[in-house]
Amino acid sequence: MTAVVLDGIVEGLGFGLLGVGLTLVYGLGGVLNLAYGEFAVLGAIVVTGVRDVGAPMPLAAAAGVAAAAAAATVLDLTAMRPVYRQSGDHRLLLGLLVTLGVAFLIEGLLDWRDPLGALIVIIGGKPIGIFGVPMGRGSVWGSVIALASGVALVGFFGATTFGRGIRSAMQDEVGARLIGISPSFARTVVFALSGALAGLVAVSSSMTSPLTVTQGFDLTTFALIVTVVGGLGSVTGAFLAGLLLGIVDTVCAYYIGQYITEVVLLGAAGLTILVRPRGLLGR
Amino acid sequence: MRGVAAGYLGEKVVEGIDLEVRAGEAVAIIGSNGAGKTTLFRAIAGLLPCAAGRVIFDEIDLTRLRAHRVAHAGVAYVPAERHLFPAMTVKTNLVLGAYPHRPHPETLELVFKLFPRLKERMRQRAGTLSGGEQQMLAVSRALMARPKLLMLDEPTSGLAPKIAKAAFGALERLKATGVTLLIAEQQVPLALSVADRGYVLENGRIRLEGTAKELAHNPEVRRAYLGVA
Ligand SMILES: Nc1ncnc2c1ncn2[C@@H]1O[C@H](COP(=O)(O)OP(=O)(O)O)[C@@H](O)[C@H]1O
Ligand SMILES: [Mg+2]
Repeated sequence: MTAVVLDGIVEGLGFGLLGVGLTLVYGLGGVLNLAYGEFAVLGAIVVTGVRDVGAPMPLAAAAGVAAAAAAATVLDLTAMRPVYRQSGDHRLLLGLLVTLGVAFLIEGLLDWRDPLGALIVIIGGKPIGIFGVPMGRGSVWGSVIALASGVALVGFFGATTFGRGIRSAMQDEVGARLIGISPSFARTVVFALSGALAGLVAVSSSMTSPLTVTQGFDLTTFALIVTVVGGLGSVTGAFLAGLLLGIVDTVCAYYIGQYITEVVLLGAAGLTILVRPRGLLGR
Repeated sequence: MRGVAAGYLGEKVVEGIDLEVRAGEAVAIIGSNGAGKTTLFRAIAGLLPCAAGRVIFDEIDLTRLRAHRVAHAGVAYVPAERHLFPAMTVKTNLVLGAYPHRPHPETLELVFKLFPRLKERMRQRAGTLSGGEQQMLAVSRALMARPKLLMLDEPTSGLAPKIAKAAFGALERLKATGVTLLIAEQQVPLALSVADRGYVLENGRIRLEGTAKELAHNPEVRRAYLGVA
């Protein structure tokens, strides 16, 4: 049982890291970025490419994260502009269409150029014992990355002037403009941050299982579930939801079977919408 | 500002507005509901584009600037709907008022002197405050930026008459500290009690202007806004 829960925590931290990038963009821009998972795939491709020319792993990882952030920034500054000119439901709908189009474009392109592309990061060394359970080093490293990112994000949004400014724009955009914050600049920063997080997801998740070029939509789906359960725009909520879902996922897989887990996760999201539409920590 | 016009979807709501506020002055824009006071304020604050005319502030041309740039130029606008950050504490709202700088201790002291209530409520979320307290917080958040001009749109909207009077009492004390004020108000007697000068806005145009005293004694104003037959 301990082993199952520990596996759940490892997976949950990964879910949290995955969800937080999507939830932030939704919280600030009112856009559900359906191309989110593709940024992770893009990051993974760049990591493999840079590693293959002989660069050390940390450098390759940094390049992947930077590439995903750059791709997200480009999207924000180009195709998203007409979306931001809309408001409310129109913005959400147009945002879904545009990002879906971008997702198809990236996925199609990668599938054409690099159909078998995949990122596997092998962390060598003996398993580490945690509560008497031997945990693979890849799992431990992935969890450490997710946890450290979570702490850094909470610190950024809770304690820095700029982070608080971005959070204020999530709560009241007009209010934020009146205190001197440019919402469009804040959006670009959050979009770039979201891309970087997707790149980080690619690196950390490929330490336990390979990330293939066809996985973009799966990642987006899981991120969406985490976002709904955690509450829109909440960093802590995303990690809390991730942990909860990760544990539910591994426990179900262990006691019922792998086939049931995606249904259970979607069910958890549905239940959240019915019982607590704001999510665990949403506004 | 000279010849300013603004409106929504090509429809001009205010037009041909000439208006002047001198440093240290308190100026009131009075007019009934729908006269265009809010539209005018939104245009000055950069929340709405000016369709014509110019807004010059302290030798800076604000006409084409967006709201956050207008804020950087030293103009603070407190809308009637306040636009606080509801899930954040009173303290964080105040700190953010000084964005991107650190809050100035003297300004914080001034705020607490004007509104001692806020000091007791520092850890409470802004969304849970009463209407009067939210108005105090909205004005205070604007003050934290140490603006050269403070624009208040209907500071008494949604407040009980007694609280509205108290709010204007606080504005009187605020004015004594030397802040330049531009106030839009339907409650004309209150507005004219703090203002040095005033403009009467009717159907999007300036109908009358003068010192507060002149306006208070003007027969038209008395008939239309002061309930004198
Ligand atoms: N967002 C808007 N879109 C279209 N028309 C508006 C909008 N806001 C206000 N108006 C119109 O502009 C006119 C002036 O409104 P407003 O500036 O709010 O006046 P006041 O603040 O003096 O009550 C009104 O006739 C109102 O219907
Ligand atoms: Mg109004």
